[in-house]
Amino acid sequence: MTLRVWDLAHGRSGDKGDICNIGLIARSDEAYKRLCRQVTAERLQDHFGELIKGGVDRYELPNINALNFVCKGALDGGGTLSLRSDHLGKVMYTWLLRMELDDE
Amino acid sequence: MKSVKLGTGLAFWGDSLRPAIDMVERADIQYLCCDHLAELTMSILSKQKSRKPDLGYTTDIIPFLRGVLPKCHERGIKIISNAGGSNPEACAQKVIELCRELGLHGMKVATVTGDDIMDRIDGLLEDGIELANTDTGQQLSDIRDKVTQANVYIGCDGIVEALEQGADIVICGRVTDAALYLGPMRHELGWAADDWQSLGAGTGVAHCIECGGQASGGLYSGGWQDMNSLSSLGYPVTEVFENGEATLSKTPQTGGAVTVGTVSEQLVYEVLDPANYLTADVVSDVSQIKLDQVGPDQVHIHNVKGKPAPETLKVNMGYRAGFVGETQFTYTWPDAVKKAKAGLAFLNERLEQVNFQSTHTRVEYLGHNSMWGPEVCDPPDDPEIEELVVRFAARCPTKEEAQKVFTESVPLYNNGPAGASGIGTRPPIKELYGIWPCLIPRELITIKTTVTEVTA
Repeated sequence: MTLRVWDLAHGRSGDKGDICNIGLIARSDEAYKRLCRQVTAERLQDHFGELIKGGVDRYELPNINALNFVCKGALDGGGTLSLRSDHLGKVMYTWLLRMELDDE
Repeated sequence: MKSVKLGTGLAFWGDSLRPAIDMVERADIQYLCCDHLAELTMSILSKQKSRKPDLGYTTDIIPFLRGVLPKCHERGIKIISNAGGSNPEACAQKVIELCRELGLHGMKVATVTGDDIMDRIDGLLEDGIELANTDTGQQLSDIRDKVTQANVYIGCDGIVEALEQGADIVICGRVTDAALYLGPMRHELGWAADDWQSLGAGTGVAHCIECGGQASGGLYSGGWQDMNSLSSLGYPVTEVFENGEATLSKTPQTGGAVTVGTVSEQLVYEVLDPANYLTADVVSDVSQIKLDQVGPDQVHIHNVKGKPAPETLKVNMGYRAGFVGETQFTYTWPDAVKKAKAGLAFLNERLEQVNFQSTHTRVEYLGHNSMWGPEVCDPPDDPEIEELVVRFAARCPTKEEAQKVFTESVPLYNNGPAGASGIGTRPPIKELYGIWPCLIPRELITIKTTVTEVTA
């Protein structure tokens, strides 16, 4: 059965200007290692497509098994200008949780 | 080891008052720290102040204080708040009047100012301070005539000064969220203003708790089903130790939970590079943070580091950026999708007929792709779908243009494709404010603290 990010992690997302950051917290040490291997900045950019216009940076918080993705140009100009219903990126993380992982 | 006990009272303008009332009655705290300001809030407040000079602060501070002040006074709990917004002096005046009304004579109310640089912009530009947009590199001249507000995110120095002068209530404007917590930490724990390690650790702790219930079970995606009584969520109660470590818990006998999971989710909220979390007071490094469950609803936070404060402070300016016009309408089976497309075409044609001007438009189908969809969303292709809600929004240069979105969608009631309903009642035409982030050398900012004793 194909695994989704959701099977291995939970998360939260929010806004800073036109940046949306998405934090993922792995459910175990093993899950964290697999997420580190598979959920790269490039994979995330492909998953979101044109929704993220300014690129993605990934950061690691190894002691709490967390990854942080900084998605630039992702909120249609930022929370105060955005026409998106989710103008603060509050549920962007749930779209990442739907991403399918490769078999290992 | 010395410690200080901090309670999170409010996390945004309009937040529920009950967690703070529960907290001052039942939790062991010395300070109640309240954040009322989001990025957009300062623009709203400056607009209110321009219309009425004694407004411009977040008015929820008054009912909030009315609820908690008698208990805080009785128990010696001090209150730190940024409710002053664009007008800390007017806010403090209202707070003093409330203290008088409640008979709390002898209370000391402090005002912290110095963050507002609106009147200094042109002088700064003349002195060669560019105030260029740190996100886009644009020069301020692009929007200079549209700027409505300019505030510096200042650190905790003014709060520390106020507490040293014996203040019971500290009213600030645009201090950093973290400063609301770091101020009492520095005051109580004796940390120096350049004790980077302690300030960095304290700032990491502040970040975990500044959003209130988001650290204690609210929005918890790792197991919201397991949270008891979210409707009575308890807010964070945190004991911070002299060495910068802390234990996060919550008000006794409240809903929610404090676990490594709930705190982890909050830790990654609105963070960019976790090794360089920039604030006015310090650069905090939370990348190696450790969280341990040390008891029921108790998480120990440690291994957060600090580095010297940045040479520059962040400024957020708000500028007028046009208006948004928005409408939505619903079609039902049979052929809901076809009707929705036809209704949208109807709206677009009518807008063309009235020479509609917009800089950006967006179409979403609510319940289908409104949250994650691309700029031009496709409707669902299910011919059996029972109903479909179309949302159309446009950014427009003027209020008159934004109004057209409403006036040209109203005829969908009687003149458009069959089966239209749920056409929104007149939506408010919303003025848009852009946020202009830029930097200013820290030596150009002087923080002023004033303490007033409430007299009969």
